[in-house]
Amino acid sequence: MGKQYEIPLGAQHISLLEPLHFKFTTENERIVDTQANLFYVHRGIEAACCSKFKFRQVSFVVGRVCGLCSISHSTAYSQVAEKLVKIEIPRRAKYLRMLVIEMDRIHSHLLCLSHVAENSGYEALFMKTMQYREFVMELLEAVCGNRIQYDFSIVGGVTRDLKPMVAEIILKRLKIFLPQLDELMDIYKNNWTLSLKNKNAGAITRADAMRLNVVGPFARAAGLAVDVRNETEDLLPWKEVGFEMITETGGDAYARNILRLRELYISKRIIENIIHGLPESPLVTETKAFPDGEAVARIEAPRGELFYYAKGNKTQVLERLKIKAPTFSNVAAMVEALNGNEYGSAPAIIASFDPCLSCTAR
Amino acid sequence: MKLSAFRKKSPWILHYNAGGCNGCDIEILACLAPKYDIERFGMINTGNPKQSDILLVTGPVTKRSRERLVEIYSQMPEPKVVVCCGVCACSGGVFRDMYNCEGGVDQFIPVDVYVCGCGARPEQIIDGVVEALSILEKKTKAMEETVQLKNQPVNEGTQLNRRNTAAAIIQPQ
Ligand code: SF4
Repeated sequence: MGKQYEIPLGAQHISLLEPLHFKFTTENERIVDTQANLFYVHRGIEAACCSKFKFRQVSFVVGRVCGLCSISHSTAYSQVAEKLVKIEIPRRAKYLRMLVIEMDRIHSHLLCLSHVAENSGYEALFMKTMQYREFVMELLEAVCGNRIQYDFSIVGGVTRDLKPMVAEIILKRLKIFLPQLDELMDIYKNNWTLSLKNKNAGAITRADAMRLNVVGPFARAAGLAVDVRNETEDLLPWKEVGFEMITETGGDAYARNILRLRELYISKRIIENIIHGLPESPLVTETKAFPDGEAVARIEAPRGELFYYAKGNKTQVLERLKIKAPTFSNVAAMVEALNGNEYGSAPAIIASFDPCLSCTAR
Repeated sequence: MKLSAFRKKSPWILHYNAGGCNGCDIEILACLAPKYDIERFGMINTGNPKQSDILLVTGPVTKRSRERLVEIYSQMPEPKVVVCCGVCACSGGVFRDMYNCEGGVDQFIPVDVYVCGCGARPEQIIDGVVEALSILEKKTKAMEETVQLKNQPVNEGTQLNRRNTAAAIIQPQ
């Protein structure tokens, strides 16, 4: 047994967007033990949502839980609140929500891929991926009015309609995006240098993934078919718009890259289907009811299953709101997957988990 | 060429998230990407506080990241400029008065430029950083002035010459 060293990574580090802290115990450059310390950004959003804000305002507050998947948060909260006030939202609002969620998924996945590339030491690929990602930010701005923090879902429906001109632009830009996506797929799949860094890095087996309750692309890359879009049909009709489950075997960083890219093809198809078959109906269901009782809602955010629980007591202010973010489910597996790898590839592996700490810590 | 000339041409940026929602952070990342390309101002993102000139902070300061923020700030060499990105770094924004938030970066470290917006657009961020550049230049000048003041030679006429006085006292014996 060689000499063991402890190496800290974080809380502030060039490869991390957010403050998180890992303590690696290494032996001959190999990580033998990992400790994760995540809750630097705990702000107390749940408590504030149950005291400071009225239940209609909360959908704007929970969007600020996470800037990468703010639409998932506000949609999940809106669904929970709609169950509490017992209304059904119009069909067009459902479709528009799905449209923005899928566009958000494109931008989130591309961001993650570029981040993996950067942390693997592939600066040019980072630039390329970010360049290709920019179109979806522009489209999101055209649809929702802001590049991030869309404030699109509210209790009862959505805030903005999709204008026919914008729909046309989206279809046009997606056509331009397709060859770019093929190009990225080719690079991430076949580039020898990148695969040296990513193959067999941060691998997790299917059995381990099952045991540790992994969700999202992390689980699907290990061969587990878990996707909320495949399970719940009552709130958003995913199957109608052409959702398809994708899994990879391998469970390493390379498999996660490929899985994310393949999911983008599905997202693109879903967006096109939604725009071609957008039903006509009003945007919001009005109601004067106050929330009462308990409800849960689940939604597939870009990182996995997002879970909301809410309890109302016939007043304007909720009694309890609970948010369980996808990264929180993945932390145990993240720590396990880091063990046994070279220390040098740790940043790339962490990026390939796509952790979102502001979701986790709330 | 002196160091200050390079500093003006190529300031290095340090980015720290003190508890924000990542929204402003990905916009900073977008600034580095080809469309907005902040590198045309010579800026580059570093991970080391000891080499940086501009500190970009996002997020309301949470109780736990407070000490890290002050620590990072004090490790940066003078002259330094702090830019806070996003309304929640400026004043706390939507997170103001939540139980684990202190609200506003300027309560702990001096802030030079405020970039508002939730989230701050890349154009705004670039604007703020360019503003920070001129402040950096001013601070550099102020520092050089104090250095010059220290190096001024002692003017013989106005100063008491202690050695001569001492010699005059000692001489008679
Ligand atoms: S200003 Fe808004 S987008 Fe920026 S970090 Fe704060 S909450 Fe997020």
